[in-house]
Amino acid sequence: MSSHPLESTAPPAVVSDDDIRLHFEVQRLYAVEAQLLDQHRYADWLELFADDLHYWAPVRTNRLRRQQALADGSPGEVAIFDETKASLAWRIRRFDSGMAWAEDPPSRTRHLITNVTVRAGDESGEYLAESAFLCYRNRLEREVDIYAGGRTDVLRRTEDGGLLIARRTILLDQNVLLAKNISTFL
Amino acid sequence: MQRHREPSVDVGAYFDLDRGLIDRTIFGDPGLYRQELRRVFAPSWLFLAHESQFGKPGDFFTTYMGEDPVIVTMGKDRRLRAFLNACRHRGMRVCRADAGATKAFTCSYHGWAYDTSGKLINVPNGEDYPAHFDQDQWGLIEVAQLDTYKGLVFATWNPEAPPLREALGGLAWYLDAMLDRDPEGTEVVGGVHKWVLEGNWKLAAEQFASDWYHVNISHASALMVMSPTGKGPKADIVQTPGRQYTDPLGHGHGFPTHPKSRFDDRVVHEHYDYEALRERLGDARVEGPMTTGHGTVFPNFSYLPVNGSIRVWHPKGPDKMEVWAWTIVDKSMPDEVKNAQRIYNLRTFGPTGIFEQDDGENWSECQATAHGFVSGSMTLNYQMGLGLQTEDGIHPGTTGRLYSDGAARGFYARWRDLMNTPAWHEQKNEEDTP
Repeated sequence: MSSHPLESTAPPAVVSDDDIRLHFEVQRLYAVEAQLLDQHRYADWLELFADDLHYWAPVRTNRLRRQQALADGSPGEVAIFDETKASLAWRIRRFDSGMAWAEDPPSRTRHLITNVTVRAGDESGEYLAESAFLCYRNRLEREVDIYAGGRTDVLRRTEDGGLLIARRTILLDQNVLLAKNISTFL
Repeated sequence: MQRHREPSVDVGAYFDLDRGLIDRTIFGDPGLYRQELRRVFAPSWLFLAHESQFGKPGDFFTTYMGEDPVIVTMGKDRRLRAFLNACRHRGMRVCRADAGATKAFTCSYHGWAYDTSGKLINVPNGEDYPAHFDQDQWGLIEVAQLDTYKGLVFATWNPEAPPLREALGGLAWYLDAMLDRDPEGTEVVGGVHKWVLEGNWKLAAEQFASDWYHVNISHASALMVMSPTGKGPKADIVQTPGRQYTDPLGHGHGFPTHPKSRFDDRVVHEHYDYEALRERLGDARVEGPMTTGHGTVFPNFSYLPVNGSIRVWHPKGPDKMEVWAWTIVDKSMPDEVKNAQRIYNLRTFGPTGIFEQDDGENWSECQATAHGFVSGSMTLNYQMGLGLQTEDGIHPGTTGRLYSDGAARGFYARWRDLMNTPAWHEQKNEEDTP
């Protein structure tokens, strides 16, 4: 887990109003995001991300315990997603082509986002948000795929007081991807 | 190898290849699946890994040959070896990591330990074994032959298999258009994509041997977003010029031809000196198989030169496969070019790739409709390009038009012949039988 440290510190004893406000804000952002994905409103979904986005889902490998540091793919290795905002737009245009047969008829998806924690990020005006996701995909008559994992986001405060997702690392809890593809986003 | 007592059936009745007809039973029958594991997979050269995955003694990678789990490892002598990933004592998997480095493979059941040359080096409580127990006789089961071709590591259980180079046949000329663009050869860019598909492995192997036909329709959405205007070609009127090679050993490679054939990714395209490539590979390869195209080494290794994608279709039962896909690049490429190739491949042919998503849908739906009594044995049409295969004087061997089922017919002719021929292990059984 070297490249994705979960510096899990004990929660502060006192919860401030700012903490509550921030936590609510992030929870609401993720709920809205999940709704947009589940409604296949991908162009609107993309608006939630900063222009310098890096959206990344490394491959998870089975390693001997003494070589655990290598278990999560590093930058520059094969990945499930390794995207910029422009390349996500490219993928989204494909869905809108009317000829993306893997999603025609479209799948039904439900993104559940939970276990959210937020703390100050490395840069001022940035936050580090951890969350767990479970995405259920149901397709055609009885195809079911479940994608579960964790996300680490860098969220950035915008001038108008909102939040944008500037960086997302997705750790899908699978070795062999147990689906024929991922035709949604996580 | 062990004795096989399972019955084998004559599969000749499922094919009328001169007329381009195939009975769909070959994609779903559990008995035929067992037969192909012993008569198609066990006797054939199978792809294991890329040499660049092994830098130093002790480096290992685990994979499958058919459904047999194997460890590929570099010994102290820097030789690559492959072994069945099963302890000789109770058959437990001795290595449960995907890759790594080790001095020994120790079974976590009773502690039998094997070194990187497969030798059994430790048996706990050895004093309780009888005097005739000979540790040297109980090393990991090693493949009969292992060899490499320009970085690709293949092995076979078959001691009587012809040498690898011979087994690749005339396909090597086409394969070299991907593997031999540069004197330093190729290497893997970190890691392996692995995903599952509901579909018989032959659906994918056949497509990569023979099927440019599906591109315009299946991948219409991907072609659209990749085209400079964002509008793309009209799906129904494209007639790309090209050729498709059919090898008598079951391999195939199809490729569009273009006098200015180029790599899709801009950074990769700008990296290459096309004059130097012409010098090295010849005009016919540069203008054809070097870039956009598809190929299969019989039975289950496939590749896409323009993406640097190499992949194995691991069989997982008659109706399931696992795709393991690597990205290869020229070793001599600067890092930013390697990275561009990696990114291009994962966005097009990774499991979330804009091409791969639609391929997955096709194969799983072909399989899903094959479970019925009528649908499971219907006759499928493999007639495209029938009678149009020839020697064109430019591309070695027999080629046909780009849009053709020619290499698929060749693939299945080879599959049929292997299925109807007792493998070396069966011949041995006959001799052994009193």
